[in-house]
Amino acid sequence: MGVIRYLRDIWRGAVSLARGMRRTLYYFLRPKEIITQQYPDNRLTLNLPERFKGEVVMPHNENNEHRCTGCQACELACPNGSLKVIYKYEITAEGKKKKAIDKLVYHLELCTMCNLCIEACPSDAIKMAQTFEHSVFDRSQLIKILNKPGSKIMEGVE
Amino acid sequence: MWSFQQAAQQIHEWLSERMSAGWALALEMVLAGLMAIGLFAMLGLILVLMERKVSARMQVRLGPNRVGPKGMLQTAADTLKLLLKEGLTPDGADKWLFHAAPIMAIVVSMLLLAPIAFAMDFQLWDVNIGVLYVSAMSSLMVISILMAGWASNSKYSLLGAMRSGAQIVSYELSAGLSVLTVVTLTGSLQISEIIRSQADGWWIFKGHVPVWIAFVIFIIAITAETNRAPFDLAEAESELTAGFHTEYSGIKFALFFLAEYINVFVLCGIGATLFLGGPMPFHIGSWEGLNRIMDWIPSSVWFFGKTFLLIFVIMWFRWTFPRLRIDQLLNLEWKYLLPLGMVNVLLAALIAIKGWHF
Amino acid sequence: MSGSDLVFYILALMTLCFGVLTVTSRQIFRAAVYLLFCLLGVAGIYFWLNYQFLAAVQIVVYAGGIVVLILFSIFLTQQSGEKLPVPAVSRKFFSALAAFCALALVLVSVFRFSFAESGKRSALVSMSQIGEKMLSPGEGGYALPFEVISVLLLAALIGCIVIAIKTKPDAR
Repeated sequence: MGVIRYLRDIWRGAVSLARGMRRTLYYFLRPKEIITQQYPDNRLTLNLPERFKGEVVMPHNENNEHRCTGCQACELACPNGSLKVIYKYEITAEGKKKKAIDKLVYHLELCTMCNLCIEACPSDAIKMAQTFEHSVFDRSQLIKILNKPGSKIMEGVE
Repeated sequence: MWSFQQAAQQIHEWLSERMSAGWALALEMVLAGLMAIGLFAMLGLILVLMERKVSARMQVRLGPNRVGPKGMLQTAADTLKLLLKEGLTPDGADKWLFHAAPIMAIVVSMLLLAPIAFAMDFQLWDVNIGVLYVSAMSSLMVISILMAGWASNSKYSLLGAMRSGAQIVSYELSAGLSVLTVVTLTGSLQISEIIRSQADGWWIFKGHVPVWIAFVIFIIAITAETNRAPFDLAEAESELTAGFHTEYSGIKFALFFLAEYINVFVLCGIGATLFLGGPMPFHIGSWEGLNRIMDWIPSSVWFFGKTFLLIFVIMWFRWTFPRLRIDQLLNLEWKYLLPLGMVNVLLAALIAIKGWHF
Repeated sequence: MSGSDLVFYILALMTLCFGVLTVTSRQIFRAAVYLLFCLLGVAGIYFWLNYQFLAAVQIVVYAGGIVVLILFSIFLTQQSGEKLPVPAVSRKFFSALAAFCALALVLVSVFRFSFAESGKRSALVSMSQIGEKMLSPGEGGYALPFEVISVLLLAALIGCIVIAIKTKPDAR
């Protein structure tokens, strides 16, 4: 019995090694599978993967309106304090006080692109952009204000 | 048709006409030495580039592609860089041994080159005991590693050298036994004799089962003997920085690096000679027509083609398998390869006696 | 002096020099490396004599096997990097005496033997001849010593296994 098990062990080992070698040979024979991007050369035709995350941005529509309510959920969700919501109170048409953002300060130099703020946002006001050429000469330029000047909240977003 | 053997013959005649036999021999030796060094340099450049390209393709990368067309000159640039770098000697190193180790490595590689048949009837030294000579010389490869490991006065080097000592001493046995399989079938140790015995088919076809087993064992054993992944415990980057050559830099490091690749080439060449017929073209028994067509391809092309095929297989191993632990490494040798090899030699002897091979 | 003689003298000089260095070196690792080169010189002389098989065996067994084991065991010993102490004068004297006696013994037996020139060139001994002699039980065969040595090696192997074997805790 021992001999049979010994030989079976060898056979199984050989089969599993062959499986690994088939995989590498598959890639060796298919240069189209190569995923390397020759970045500065192909800057115009750069093909980034769908889930690549570069920085947090706040999309605005053509009327300079965003969806942020200033609820601070993103600030709470951020593990290293990259986001800071500076809010103010606006008086609505009915004469009520309502919370709204003044500035959404984003510290790119602290951000780890973990995506937690995007998941925490109840109104989908922020999202991850795929830009990645972030290098600047002065660190202070990495502190960004995400809402554009003079922007306001979109109609109907609570 | 052009062949190495004719070229060598013509040079010999040309020299013999102009000077005495002794001087002609001396000059021929110098020429052969220069050609060996040239081959070394070429092989170093080509094999390193090949390794990097193959690894890149297997890992879905591009590999070197900046220096020269398609990165062809990358290794030349690297070599130039290594030559210009400062060679540091660590404080507290045993200077004499530290400098001798890389020289020892490269000299052993050069000695290994002697009995290789690069083309039909084209050898530096067709020694009577060809295959035994190769296994004797390859058993010296470990000495330079041990010397380097000791002389560096570094813990990483010492650990790397110790691992490689245990490894090479064990895997030599399997390599020897698998070589013995073919030697049993051929009945000779001489390389030219072994090649001639494959004129009606290579041993891998003629010798069937025992030769197949021996071939697999041989490939595994030479991968281990040349300290290449998955058996690269001696230089395991992730554990020992660079193992036995941690403290080496510049030209001395380059010599170690070159010696490793030359050893791969030579041992693959021996493997190609033993199992795949070396410079012998692809022949099938007495099919005169096919044999005649195959003879049109020069024998040197056959030799280098087969050798590079085996080198590719070894690179393929390297970029597929993870590194073994030292106990797994020794288990593989002593519990699997060695018993299998011994049984296999008996099987081969039985087949040789009964004449069951083709 | 022909080229062949020159090669012989170079090899002999190398063997002797490294032999002397082996016993005089005070660093044990270096001594082992010198021993390696000494043995390689002997192998070179075998090659020079056209005893290729013997030369290869010399390299496989002594240089590739025994010296590697010596180096390996030096790695495993403590404080092997330090210089050995200078031996006492009496020890030096007696070892020199022993070496001299051995040399005298060899020289006496060499000079008492008259080397008759056979006039024949040394023939290249083929591997198959060596193999047949090694295993032949007949006249001039080495089957018995071969078997005795293999039994000795087997005993050594079994001894190693007995020393290395781990006793299971429940075996007692």
